[in-house]
Amino acid sequence: MIIEIGEFTRVEGNGKAEIIIEDGEVKDVRLKIVEGPRFFELLTLGRHYYDVPDLEARICAICYLAHSVASVMGIERAFGVEVPEEIQLLRELGLIGEFLESHALHLYLLVAPDVFGYPDAIRMASKHGELVKEGIALKAFGNRLRELIGGREIGGINVKPGGFGRYQTTEELETIEEESGALLRLAKRAVRLFASLEPYGERAEHFVATNGYLWGERLIAEDKEPFHYTERIEEHSLVYSFAKQSCYNGESFLVGSLARLLLKSDQLTPEAKRLFKEHEDKLSTGYVSYNNLAQAIELVYSLERAGEIAKILLDRGISGENVPVEPREGEGIGYVEAPRGVLIHHYRTDSKGRIVHSNIITPTALNHAMIEESLLKEARVLYGEADEEEMIGRLEETVRAFDPCISCSVHIVKL
Amino acid sequence: MMGKLKLGVFELTDCGGCALNVLFLYERLFDLLEYYEIGEFHMASSLQDGGHYDVALVTGTVSTHRDLEVLREARNRSDYLIALGTCATHGSVQGSVEMPIKEKLKAIYGDEGNPMRAMDSKPVVEYVAVDLAIPGCPYDKEELYQALMNIAKGIDPVRPDYPVCVECKLNEYECVLVKKGLPCLGPITLGGCNAVCIKSGLGCIGCRGPLPGEVNPASEYEILKSKGYDDEYIMKKFKTFARWKP
Ligand code: SF4
Ligand code: SF4
Repeated sequence: MIIEIGEFTRVEGNGKAEIIIEDGEVKDVRLKIVEGPRFFELLTLGRHYYDVPDLEARICAICYLAHSVASVMGIERAFGVEVPEEIQLLRELGLIGEFLESHALHLYLLVAPDVFGYPDAIRMASKHGELVKEGIALKAFGNRLRELIGGREIGGINVKPGGFGRYQTTEELETIEEESGALLRLAKRAVRLFASLEPYGERAEHFVATNGYLWGERLIAEDKEPFHYTERIEEHSLVYSFAKQSCYNGESFLVGSLARLLLKSDQLTPEAKRLFKEHEDKLSTGYVSYNNLAQAIELVYSLERAGEIAKILLDRGISGENVPVEPREGEGIGYVEAPRGVLIHHYRTDSKGRIVHSNIITPTALNHAMIEESLLKEARVLYGEADEEEMIGRLEETVRAFDPCISCSVHIVKL
Repeated sequence: MMGKLKLGVFELTDCGGCALNVLFLYERLFDLLEYYEIGEFHMASSLQDGGHYDVALVTGTVSTHRDLEVLREARNRSDYLIALGTCATHGSVQGSVEMPIKEKLKAIYGDEGNPMRAMDSKPVVEYVAVDLAIPGCPYDKEELYQALMNIAKGIDPVRPDYPVCVECKLNEYECVLVKKGLPCLGPITLGGCNAVCIKSGLGCIGCRGPLPGEVNPASEYEILKSKGYDDEYIMKKFKTFARWKP
C-alpha cells in the first residue's frame, strides 16, 4: 500500500511524497520532486560570462542573489580575479538581505500557521496580526537589501563579475544601519517562539557548510577539514524525481541554518552567539526540526551583521570602483551559503570567457536524502498512531522544517 | 458591499518568483483582500478550495504533463485568466534551450535515463486562451496590483505598449547603449518595469519580452554589431526571453 502526500503546500515549488507500507509497516519513503526540469546548465553553455549571473538569478526567486553571487564567484575564480573588501562587504550585505527575506518568509508565513493551527498566514492574521506584521516587516527589510545590492527584489542584475552596475549611497547605508538595529527586537521574539517547540523528524549526523559564514573557498564538515565538493560529495539520479540526490561519504547529511550554527558558531555576531549558547543543548541534538530555531537565531545574526557592515562602509566611504575582468581559459567554483544551505556553482571557461562546462548543486538537492530519512522516521512514529489526515499534516511539517526550495533543485547536471 | 471575488494562484514550472511577488505586495496585499478572497495559492496556503474562480493567476511554463493538467483546470474553472510573468507569457529562460527534450534529459540526468516524462518548456499562452498577459521576469508588482484593482472595479486593465527606452527617457537615465556601449535590449523590449535595470547603469536583458508591433530588431542588431558584439553573442541575447511572436 502507498500513502500519497499530495503536492506540498507552503513550500516553494511542486513536490510530493509517497509512504510505502508493506505488511503493516512503513517500509520506505520517496520524496518526489515533480517540478519540471529547467536545464540551467544547458542554458549557460556557450554563453558569455557577463550574461551568466543574470541568467542564474532566474533559478530561484527566494535565493536569487545567492545564485548571482555564487555564479560571479565561480567566474572570478576561473579568471583569477580578486575583489577588494568593499565589494565583498556589499555582496555580504545582499546575502544577508536574502537570509532575512527567506527566513522571515519561512518562519512567519509558512511555519507559524502550523504552530497556531491555521491553513495560512492570511487567515492567521485575524488572531495573530502582530506576529504576521512583524514577519512582513523583517521580510520587507530583507528585500530592500536585496533591491539595494541586486538591483531588484527578485531577478536583479546589479551583481557583476568584478563589482556592481550601481554602488550604494551614504544615505542608503545610513537607513540600513538604523533599521537593522530597530528590527532586532522582533527577531529575538522569533527565537523565543521557535525555541519553545518540541522536536520532530530525524536527527542529522553529518553537517556541511562553507568555511566562511556566508561563503568560502571550500566546504567543511564536522572535522573542520576544508574540502572541495568533488572529494566527498556524490550525486546520483533517481527514477522518481527531477532532483538528484547527494551523499556525503556515502551518507545523508544536512545543510542550512542548523548546520551553519553547529559548524560555525564561533563566527556569529555577539547577540546571535549568546542565543546560540543559550539553546546549544537543543540544537546540538541535531533534530532537523530545530532548523526553524536556527533560522530565527540567524535573523538576529543577519540584523546585527547588516548594521556592522553598514557602519564599516560608512566609516571608510565607498569608492565604487569595479575590478577589471580579463576572460581566460579557467575553472572556478563559487561556494555560497544560500538561506537554505550550501550552494555550489562550478564553471569551466574558454579563452573568450564563454562557459564550456557548468555544474550547479543546490541546498535542497543536498538535503534530499535527509528529507527522505526524516519522513521515514516520522512516518514510522505516526503510522498506526495517528489517522491518515493527521499523519499527512505532520509529515508536511517535517518537510517544511527543511524549508525546501524545489525550483532550485531541478536542474542538476551530471559530472 | 457585494461578495468578494475569488482568486486562485497556480504555479507551473518556474523559479517561484512570480508567485512570490504576489506576497511581496505586503500591506497592499491586504488592500487587495478587501476585494478578493484567495481560494488556492499553494506556496502560501494549505487551503485548496477546488471551486470556481473569478480570477486565476497562472505563473510558470508548461514543462510537464502535470503542469498542463493544472493549467487546463485553472482555465476551465476561472472566468478571467492572467498569464503572469515571462515564463507564462513567453517561456522565459528555460524555454530558450533549443534541443529535443530527450537529449536535454539525457544531458542532465545521464544515460540510465530518468524515466520521468517532461515536455519542452512552453508558455501558458501556447496552450490556452488568456484574458490578460503581464510579462516580466518577474513582472512589476504595481502592474499586477493595478490590473487586479481594475478587474475588481470592472475596468479593463491598462496594457503598456511602448519600449523600455521610453521609461528610461522619462527617468532621465543616461543611455547605456549609446553612451557606454553596453548591450541593452531596451529599444525592442516591452516597457512597464520603469527601466529598473538601467537605473543600475546596466543594459536591459529583455526580461519583459519583445515589444509587439512596429519593432526593429534588425536595427538593434546593427547597433550591437557596431559596438563590437559578435553574431553569436547577439543571437543568444535576443533569444533568451523573446522566441515567440507576441
Ligand atoms: S518569469 Fe522569471 S521571475 Fe517569473 S517565475 Fe518565470 S523565471 Fe521566475
Ligand atoms: S530593464 Fe529590461 S531586463 Fe530590466 S526589468 Fe525592464 S525589461 Fe526586464
